[in-house]
Amino acid sequence: MKPTDASYSIENRFVSTGPLVWVATILCTTLLLAVLRHALWLVVPFLLAIILYYLLLPLVHRLTVAGVPSEISAAIVAGTFFLAGAVALVLLLPWVAQQAVVNEEALYRYLEGGRALLDRTLISLESQFGFLKRMDLHTTIGEKVAEFGGTYLREHLTEAALEAAAWLPSLLLAPFIAFFFLRDGKRFLKFVGEAVPNAYFERTLYMVDRVDSTARAYFMGLLKLTLLDTVCLAIGLATIGLHGALALALLAAVLAWAPIVGSAIGCLVVVLVAATDFPADPWIVYEAIGLFLLVRLLDDFVFMPLTVGRSLHMHPLATVLLIFIGGELAGVPGLVLVLPLAGLIMAVTGTIGGILNSPRLRARHEFAKALRTQRITADLQS
Amino acid sequence: MLGFFEDRKDTPRLSTLRQLPLLATLSRRELRIVDGLLHERRHVKGEVIFDEGDEGHSVYVVISGRVLICRQGEPETGRITVIDTGVVFGELALLDDAVRAAQARAEEDCVLAALSRGDFEKLFETHTQIASKIALQLARQLGRQLREHPTSAEPRPL
Repeated sequence: MKPTDASYSIENRFVSTGPLVWVATILCTTLLLAVLRHALWLVVPFLLAIILYYLLLPLVHRLTVAGVPSEISAAIVAGTFFLAGAVALVLLLPWVAQQAVVNEEALYRYLEGGRALLDRTLISLESQFGFLKRMDLHTTIGEKVAEFGGTYLREHLTEAALEAAAWLPSLLLAPFIAFFFLRDGKRFLKFVGEAVPNAYFERTLYMVDRVDSTARAYFMGLLKLTLLDTVCLAIGLATIGLHGALALALLAAVLAWAPIVGSAIGCLVVVLVAATDFPADPWIVYEAIGLFLLVRLLDDFVFMPLTVGRSLHMHPLATVLLIFIGGELAGVPGLVLVLPLAGLIMAVTGTIGGILNSPRLRARHEFAKALRTQRITADLQS
Repeated sequence: MLGFFEDRKDTPRLSTLRQLPLLATLSRRELRIVDGLLHERRHVKGEVIFDEGDEGHSVYVVISGRVLICRQGEPETGRITVIDTGVVFGELALLDDAVRAAQARAEEDCVLAALSRGDFEKLFETHTQIASKIALQLARQLGRQLREHPTSAEPRPL
């Protein structure tokens, strides 16, 4: 009766993530991103809905403890959020429309400030290095930048604004989807549990728990990280004397959601504003760059371990590879999505890999099936 | 204050859960919350529920039927104990990462309610009072078992 394979108790335990699981994770993430890039209008609201779900879930729990059934709690919390959002949108819309005109002018002003800074820096470099002067670097680069700012940007700005406006209705889906996550989340988990045979039940529960924990740790950590980054940058920028320090800091912190590229764009924005606000004082720009680098270091070595931490448990090489794949396949949303997506897929592939690698679990499932078949065919066998 | 939303009827399922010593101290409201986390499993007689050496990630409560705890693969000669309706087993899975100390099999057709460690840990964050009540009942059960089998050489599951 005792299983002949003496190692059953060892191989029955959860297998660690081997190379096959890693390959499967990267392949599945790539495939999923390739599919999702055709439905980004739906993916982005889903992403926002997941963040909303984890934000609003504690409120639903509070109402549940107070005696409100969970379904009504979900409706109250999601409805209140949706109403508050709608009221805020209605109140802010005239201001946003007014700012759009002002901001377009400001954008060109900041680009011009950036171009002037670049020009001054290149001239200064040319005065120190003769070969740069012979190349006439500042004229060549100045022409390229002027061309980008003058024609390319003007042509594509309206297009980009229209594209962003087209996304707005789909973003309204986010609270709607979040409501269903809040209302039916537990029911869905039970549904998944019921669909799984007894032999694989515990591992499936473990997988679902890992997926949930990973997503929660990542998205909630990301929000906390954004808050910490915003506070630190805002204090630093205000100390330097930049106008709109809080708005700039928030923009840079949100842009950092897209790994590597986002941080670079955030830094560029801060530099452009500093160069425009203080055209005669290049030290302000250097201070802004220094501050940005300092916050990045704080972010990587202090804030990140405290918030997002190693919630995704990924090797740095795989992380970089996935970031490139995400950016290549789905642009900026791909950059933001690729890491959490890979983390969730890794939890699933790891569990499935564990089940496939466990002959004991499969044998238990077959045995249970045989017992049930024997039961229902007992009267047919005589 | 928000209690007027509450459904005050006790469903048969809630009545069954109320009989379980592990959940006996929970109010109707708390019981309803825990019920939302329990997964019902049906096992036929002889089916393996978990193996010795498995990583335990759930605690089980016998809703109906009986469960045999035995040495791995020895349901006849290695019987350790039989778990009756209303009793919890696999409870150590909630407390640590230890592997299962024995095998569990359905002694007869049975219905089990499973609570995962992940959900139990989340209860500590979201519904501290419920988690504390369950943990206290769990500690009482373990204490009782220690008093009843203080020198037993057999490993107590699980």
